[in-house]
Amino acid sequence: MSVATAKRRIKVIRPPSFSPLALLSSFGVLWHYRDLLYTLSVHRVKVRYKQSILGIMWAVLQPLSLMLIYTLVFSIIGNVPTGGTPYPIVAFSGLLIWSFFSTALTNSTNGLVSHSHLVTKVYFPREILPLTYVIAALFDFVIASFVLAGLMFYYKITTTLNILYVIPILAILTCFVASVSLIFSALQVRFRDVGVAMPLLLQLWMFATPVVYPLSAIPKRFLWFYTINPMVGVVDNFREVLLHGATPDFNTLAVSALISLFLVPASYIYFKHVEATLADVV
Amino acid sequence: MIDLKFDHVSKRYRIRQSDDSDTQNTLLRKLRALRGRKTDFWAVRDVDFEVRRGEALGIIGHNGAGKSTILKLLSNITTPTSGEITINGRLAALIEVGSGFHPELSGRENIYLNGSILGMTRREITKKLDGIIDFAGVREFIDTPVKRYSSGMYVRLGFSIAAHLDPDILLLDEVLAVGDAAFQAKCLDRIKELEKRGTTIVFISHDLGAVERLCDRVLLMKRGQVVKSGPAAEIVAAYQSDATLSSESVEVHKKGETNEIEIQTLSFCDDLGVSRPVFKTGEPLRARIAFNANETVKDAVFWLLLFTADGQIHCELTTELSGEQISVKPGSGVVEFRTKQLGLQPGIYFTSVHVKKRNARDVINYQYKSTMLRVDSDNLLQGNFYLPHSWSVTQSEDVDREYAGYENVVRS
Repeated sequence: MSVATAKRRIKVIRPPSFSPLALLSSFGVLWHYRDLLYTLSVHRVKVRYKQSILGIMWAVLQPLSLMLIYTLVFSIIGNVPTGGTPYPIVAFSGLLIWSFFSTALTNSTNGLVSHSHLVTKVYFPREILPLTYVIAALFDFVIASFVLAGLMFYYKITTTLNILYVIPILAILTCFVASVSLIFSALQVRFRDVGVAMPLLLQLWMFATPVVYPLSAIPKRFLWFYTINPMVGVVDNFREVLLHGATPDFNTLAVSALISLFLVPASYIYFKHVEATLADVV
Repeated sequence: MIDLKFDHVSKRYRIRQSDDSDTQNTLLRKLRALRGRKTDFWAVRDVDFEVRRGEALGIIGHNGAGKSTILKLLSNITTPTSGEITINGRLAALIEVGSGFHPELSGRENIYLNGSILGMTRREITKKLDGIIDFAGVREFIDTPVKRYSSGMYVRLGFSIAAHLDPDILLLDEVLAVGDAAFQAKCLDRIKELEKRGTTIVFISHDLGAVERLCDRVLLMKRGQVVKSGPAAEIVAAYQSDATLSSESVEVHKKGETNEIEIQTLSFCDDLGVSRPVFKTGEPLRARIAFNANETVKDAVFWLLLFTADGQIHCELTTELSGEQISVKPGSGVVEFRTKQLGLQPGIYFTSVHVKKRNARDVINYQYKSTMLRVDSDNLLQGNFYLPHSWSVTQSEDVDREYAGYENVVRS
């Protein structure tokens, strides 16, 4: 059967070099391994909740309990200017999207190192490892979205057609998450400091993003600086589009989109560069 | 038709020198190490070979000769520093099976997971699922998490997945050393079947016997380079006779020797005292150690150690235990160890010979890896060693026809 297979793929292994062509062929190999990407992503979801009583409920419980905590904290400290929208849903919409980002990043950063037994034995495109964590986090996001829908119904929030903007916003976010995951997982191979610093970094990053407060809470004169953070455009616009039925702020969204657009190829090139000697270092 | 081509391939590893100056500040030291001196180590240097379609190529050599690096380069786990590798067709490596298993998942789920890691599509796996399960013999437990599997089942399932890849080119490591003998035979059959179908095979192993049985052509590697290539039997023989290929230096062991007695040669011979390179399991064997004494040594004790290819002591022969004193006079002599039936399983064994005064700390003289012992067998028995045994059978009805004890010797 194997001999009868008419078409054989000729593969040439050369010392690592970086040309647009090499990058394109990497994408080709990744496409060839798409089944592995799928199987491993399903596996991530399955394994995460195996032998846990609440199972997939955790995907919902995490942002939900965080929402309760922040609602409680801010109701004691004082009011956050939400422009009339109930605070719990402001917090939940932010936490929902932030959880996707932070879960994906936390898990994927260690993705290569924790699979060293595989990486040193079998070849497959290594970017699959961090990317499966991103996909698994996206899955959690979808599950938890149903709670958001429930909350919106509960608070009687009316939606407009602008809700469709959620799709490009999520696409931008996913690209950003994927490329940051690639960079951090590759860095983690050589510098384990990255993994250790991750919780701190994410904490700081969260407070630098309008997650538990709306963008309107930021004084105008800081905004130019504040919106350099690509997560700002994503989180704020997600909320605006969903809860206020507004059109997105194309300025902040453009910042996020441009940064993601730059990061996708850049992170992939860097990742492939690390991949070449990964098995020798990890 | 060339399936595999190494075109002047080299692989360099950079080893960072640790800074000897005792800087107190560890952070500073680490930062310095980052840009510090590096030593180059060429694991593979200018290796050039081709494998034709349907050919079975063996690669042998001592530990550190570059065999595993070749394997890693071939399977694309690491990239070459220079040169080019061309692979024509689907390549699969049968190395350390089961390393991609997840304990929480069922056997079936793991087949999909591991199969896709090895490069199969889901559709392909579904098609081969029954074959894989039956080959591994785990049908009853296929929906049980693999953490409940016995280690044997685990290994069998792992091999079974890999064996069903149907590659154009198959890379084999020491994988044949898995499972029990029956399963090993099954694996070998499967590999032979693939070979018959025209699969190109690259086999990297310490097991010279297996290499000789499976391969048409063999490359002998030494310090990252191919030093010889040719028909399997020829190269295996050359490897065995060339003890200097040893990666370890004999000089290291010369320390502390007093040299009143010098060990000269070690040879293995049969019952009649005829020296031979290969012995069969169950045959009589004599190991002769020729020595030359420079002065009188009272109560000398001789040792012969046999090592497996990976450097583990396999067994020990000594004049120590009998308690008798050997008094060595100046001049030459021979110590002979004898066994009626060789209990070693087929393989290559390295030797070391040393002589000491009883209860002394220092060695008088030492010889390491000067000779190899090769054991072969026509009839493979399972287990770690061959236990010489005889047998008889008795039945109550025909006590009269009781069989005399039959000696059961492996050699046919």
